[in-house]
Amino acid sequence: MATLLSLKRRIRAAQNVSKTTKAMQMIAASKLKKAQDATLASRPYVEKVSLLVTDIATRIEQKDFHPYMKTNSLTGKSLIIALSPDKGLCGGLITNILREFFAVSDANKDASYVVVGKKLEGQVTKLQNEVLASFHFGTTLPAFGVVFPLIKLIDEYYLSEKVDTVKVLYTDFTSIFSQTPKIVTLLPVTLPDTSGTGEKGDQNNFSLFEPNVSGLLPDLLKHYLEMTLFQYFLESYVSEQASRMIAMQNATTNAKDIITELQLEYNKTRQSKITSELLDITGSKRAEGAQN
Amino acid sequence: MQLDIVTPEKIVYSEEIDELTVPTPQGEISILPEHIALVTRVSEGELTVIVKGKTYYLAVTGGFLQVQKDKITLLADYAIRSDDINTQKVLEARKRAEETLTKKREGMSERDFAVAESEMRRAILELKVSSKRRKHSNIPGQ
Repeated sequence: MATLLSLKRRIRAAQNVSKTTKAMQMIAASKLKKAQDATLASRPYVEKVSLLVTDIATRIEQKDFHPYMKTNSLTGKSLIIALSPDKGLCGGLITNILREFFAVSDANKDASYVVVGKKLEGQVTKLQNEVLASFHFGTTLPAFGVVFPLIKLIDEYYLSEKVDTVKVLYTDFTSIFSQTPKIVTLLPVTLPDTSGTGEKGDQNNFSLFEPNVSGLLPDLLKHYLEMTLFQYFLESYVSEQASRMIAMQNATTNAKDIITELQLEYNKTRQSKITSELLDITGSKRAEGAQN
Repeated sequence: MQLDIVTPEKIVYSEEIDELTVPTPQGEISILPEHIALVTRVSEGELTVIVKGKTYYLAVTGGFLQVQKDKITLLADYAIRSDDINTQKVLEARKRAEETLTKKREGMSERDFAVAESEMRRAILELKVSSKRRKHSNIPGQ
């Protein structure tokens, strides 16, 4: 008796779970579409901007270098900007981010941190490091405005030479099924290694700058910084949605499997109960007939 | 030479061209094949592209231009081909921006004002570029 009731309860619980996960899956799927479009559309632009920046860096002389390009190793410290989602339930994504995050923090013992996203907020306090700021990632497509406070912080620490490098931990979106947390160096602008590439002819090319390098470079680098940082936000966001969609899809499938199994067990139990009741009835009838 | 116009939203233009004229803060410059390597800012205005004797127009709202040997890359904040400009929509956008600018002047944040203003400027520019295209296409034989 009790088993029938408890089975029914378990079926209902599994059904509710599958409804919730299905809804989450659908929300993530609709967000994913928009995010994927935005991320993939701006990728070529960001790539070209960084190409342009590195190209200019190889063509100008050391004296024209912008502070963003200098390789001054004064303090040996780094500023690490780590991006993570606000919400969980997105499969192995957060575990992967955390693994990468702790690997990075092991390698940079006296780094300062800026964290974005509630999931890292709690973890970063475990480290005995300086946390400059903590932002929320948000659950909608990041707006371009998110980069400005970050850039202000970067400028404050990088330009006053409190840190040597600025690194970003984000999640690279390779496909819906695969997202990898990555650590990249945002500043100083990394110069391409031209020593072994044999592109000397290209390097000697004279390049004209209008109005001049010092007039152009600050604007360009600022723009580069904003665009690259924003692209990292987009990549992280689209990774989160993709990961959540897949996780929720799996959860829904699992819940459905469990429902099928429970339903089968429920039916069997019910059948065996009926059979045993019938046996009781026929048994008692026979006993009655034998007595008469 | 190859011209690529890339914006954060999409690749607007990617074709072989014969001549390109862009507005820069120092004035308009034209780029012909074998141009010296050049990097410059692009200011808001109208782009003229000549392909096999035919002239095409684009509206651009600023960005950076890089000329390499036979390869031009224009990184624009926003760019649109004159053919793609939807005059109706632009007029609506201008009206909207106009309303925002005149009506809600007080109690509006500086940022909102700047956004409306730039929308207005963009609308005016797009109208200018698209009216140019119509004038040209009215010439018989084209």
